[in-house]
Amino acid sequence: METRYQRIQKISSEIGGEIMAFISSGYNPDKPMENRITDIGPRHYEEFFPPVIKKNFGKWLYHEILEAGVLVHVAESGDEVYTVRVGAARLLTVSHIREICEIADKHCDGYLRFTTRNNVEFMVDSKDKVEPLKQDLLSRKQAGGGYKFPVGGTGAGVTNIVHTQGWVHCHTPATDASGPVKATMDVLFDEFTNMRLPAKVRVSLACCLNMCGAVHCSDIAILGYHRKPPLVDHEYLDKMCEVPLAIAACPTAAIKPSKVELPDGKTVKSVSVKEERCMFCGNCYTMCPSMPLADTEGDCIVLMVGGKISNRISMPKFSKIVVPYLPNNPPRWPEVTSTIKRIIDVYAADARKYERLGEWAERISWESFFEKCELEFTHHIIDDFRDPAYFTWRQSTQFKFT
Amino acid sequence: MDEEAAKTLIVETLKKKKGKTKFYLKDFYKWLPDEKNRAVKNLVNKMVREEILEYWSSGSTTLIGLKGVGKQAAAEEGDDD
Amino acid sequence: MELKHKTPMLDQLETGPWPSFVSDLKREAESRKTNPNGIDFQCPAEMPEDLLGVVELSYEHGRTHWKHGGIVGVFGYGGGVIGRYCDQPEMFPAVAHFHTLRINQPSSKFYTTEYLEQLMDLCERRGSGITNMHGSTGDIVFLGSHTPQLEEIFWELTHNINQDLGGSGGNLRTPSCCLSGARCEFACIDTQHICHTFTNEYQDELHRPAFPYKFKFKFDGCPNCCVASLARSDLAFIGTWRDDIRIDQEAVKAYVGGELKPNAGAHKDRDWGAFDIQKEVIDLCPTECMGWDGSKLSIDTKNCTRCMHCINTMPRALRVGQDTGVSLLCGAKAPILDGAQMGSLLVPFIKCEDPYDELKEIIEGLWDWWMEEGKNRERIGELMKRQGFQRALEAIGLKAVPQHVKEPRSNPYVFWKEEEVPGGWKRDINEFRKYHQR
Repeated sequence: METRYQRIQKISSEIGGEIMAFISSGYNPDKPMENRITDIGPRHYEEFFPPVIKKNFGKWLYHEILEAGVLVHVAESGDEVYTVRVGAARLLTVSHIREICEIADKHCDGYLRFTTRNNVEFMVDSKDKVEPLKQDLLSRKQAGGGYKFPVGGTGAGVTNIVHTQGWVHCHTPATDASGPVKATMDVLFDEFTNMRLPAKVRVSLACCLNMCGAVHCSDIAILGYHRKPPLVDHEYLDKMCEVPLAIAACPTAAIKPSKVELPDGKTVKSVSVKEERCMFCGNCYTMCPSMPLADTEGDCIVLMVGGKISNRISMPKFSKIVVPYLPNNPPRWPEVTSTIKRIIDVYAADARKYERLGEWAERISWESFFEKCELEFTHHIIDDFRDPAYFTWRQSTQFKFT
Repeated sequence: MDEEAAKTLIVETLKKKKGKTKFYLKDFYKWLPDEKNRAVKNLVNKMVREEILEYWSSGSTTLIGLKGVGKQAAAEEGDDD
Repeated sequence: MELKHKTPMLDQLETGPWPSFVSDLKREAESRKTNPNGIDFQCPAEMPEDLLGVVELSYEHGRTHWKHGGIVGVFGYGGGVIGRYCDQPEMFPAVAHFHTLRINQPSSKFYTTEYLEQLMDLCERRGSGITNMHGSTGDIVFLGSHTPQLEEIFWELTHNINQDLGGSGGNLRTPSCCLSGARCEFACIDTQHICHTFTNEYQDELHRPAFPYKFKFKFDGCPNCCVASLARSDLAFIGTWRDDIRIDQEAVKAYVGGELKPNAGAHKDRDWGAFDIQKEVIDLCPTECMGWDGSKLSIDTKNCTRCMHCINTMPRALRVGQDTGVSLLCGAKAPILDGAQMGSLLVPFIKCEDPYDELKEIIEGLWDWWMEEGKNRERIGELMKRQGFQRALEAIGLKAVPQHVKEPRSNPYVFWKEEEVPGGWKRDINEFRKYHQR
């Protein structure tokens, strides 16, 4: 009798369309614990430090941004490290990363670094190595003419967008991630390669309200949002899902067990959804594939602004919803990108030096923010979710006429 | 309770549950109220290594059940056991 | 090269200056199709092509075509793998099964090309040739592989590359940190060291379920918070100091005189006029603790809240203090369910030095409380809200101080404990009645 493992292998090669010759790594599926190595953690970070970094660790005196995307850090020893920062899609192929490696081998003795915002940093230890590196990076173009390695993302500008998986890999997204990010960065490209805004602007995208990307403290957050409760595939639900798990998955307790009569007269066990309680999170679909919630018209994009995580000058802030609905309009989401561009342009013209987007909106007042950015205020924007809502209403006669 | 008795209790409790095959770690704490939570956690993880139990992940949370049991296990691997 | 599926909508994302993921995927598709290096692909060569096809279909439909799968990890691990299945397997057979592996990144994401090439060889041979650098939590992500390859990848990772998986599910998630001392003069703590140390210390919690829900650590070297620890981690470690900001008065004058660029040159591409130290530094100080008399800068340390603005603006003149440590903020999370939370200041200041014993006690105290009291799928920040900040203080044996709050409570509903009130709560009604009629 074939083992479960062999069966899986067979299925895998069948769905793959062709039989591949399986090459074992050494792992023995019948004895999974044999020679197994576990719990070793990540590689030690020091292995990956360029010599100049290792030598001057903890001894850096100051830094300067020489131009957008190019930094110098100076150590107590007098050593310098020059960094050229380039943007990248978060989704990177092996071929692209090998090209990154090739550049790092050519210019940087085989070292490089990724930032928390999906940028790549190439470091060299003297100034004369900067220009050849930069020119090499900028000379590399993709088939469609775009840069493979745009230099920028520093200082008072827009750096790379952090984002989630979207339609590339997620089961509950209300929008794509890579596509809206590409479209937005194309529109904001000049702010990536320049440092001419009042302060840095951090843009983030989460493709549903579960926010794997935790965009809730960004200057501008692009958020995918569902607006329709899940469909229920009554005929198959009890065959594919465990009803108690689907019920337990719902954070608002909107799912109840029910008996449903199918058109053919057969009664099946299923669930009912109290639709007005649904907050469109998709947790039920995670636990039960018979409850999909994606919908072409229902799914949309929400824009939030004014969040920050830094403690600089003012305290960290949450992002606030300023546009409750924009259509999902692939491949380039023009309504989303033009609204973001408008907000950033108004902010750039109106805010004071050092003022983050949220600090500016608070100083001029939110009512002025809506007026200046030509955004429609609708009832959706007034908080009505549980206790904290009250604290966002205005308990004062002070307001501005707009 | 000795380890074998605790294992038996866990397996028997899981077998008795109708319509639900996957449980949170906290449920296992309830079934062994006299044991320290950490000890139950370690035992459950050991039973996974011994291929008695298996994990199931929603991506954000982890559930635990008897190995190979449950509707989704069957649906996912085209398996019929 | 002619690819398997027509992608007219995705093709429109190949123009424009920003790097296109579509062009990149096509490049990989061609590389796998032609296979110039004769790789024995253990997953279908068509994976990038079929991925382009399924994403194009989503662009047409405005809906995802992925289903969740319950696969958790490799044998004995409760995390590290996210299961995915395509809901159109006949149309896109190569990505019918498309599971993701999370690989624990080195602290602060420096790499050698040698190591990256090893990872890429593995991803190409046993995966789809597609990665995320990096996932939201910080892992290196291999996007898309088949079930039988998961153990093989893990085996090669651990045996040949000395590298482990990251976390997912109700586990400790892969900790992450800023680059601190590696290339930043603001670093108050060695974030890489503490991040690496705690990742190894808590491997069991990272790989096997131990908690009611996920738990994240993040380590920021200073209050600028470049890794967003206070917004994105259940326990945020943020470097800070309690002595004086170090001032180089000559450098201050150089900023005032225009020889040095303010804000390290971050505003270079726009003419904001000459640097005005009064307007740009002194007046923007949130606590008004700074003075400039035309030749000397003064900072009243007692009133400084270490917001970093003056240091960011004049990095060659001002440096963080030398008596450094961390502030711990607990309970940040994304909105589900009761709204987003930022971390709340739990430990205002604690030294942060190897072997970090006091910090470990705090972590384990919080975990014990949460494992005992937390409901299923309740983050520690939600437990704090449900049971009160005071319970978190009790869990780590810390006294309340005014620094814990923005303002004192405005409702008088103090839940006094019996032991706090003289004589306790057990009283004799008959004794009371001696002086009060019924």
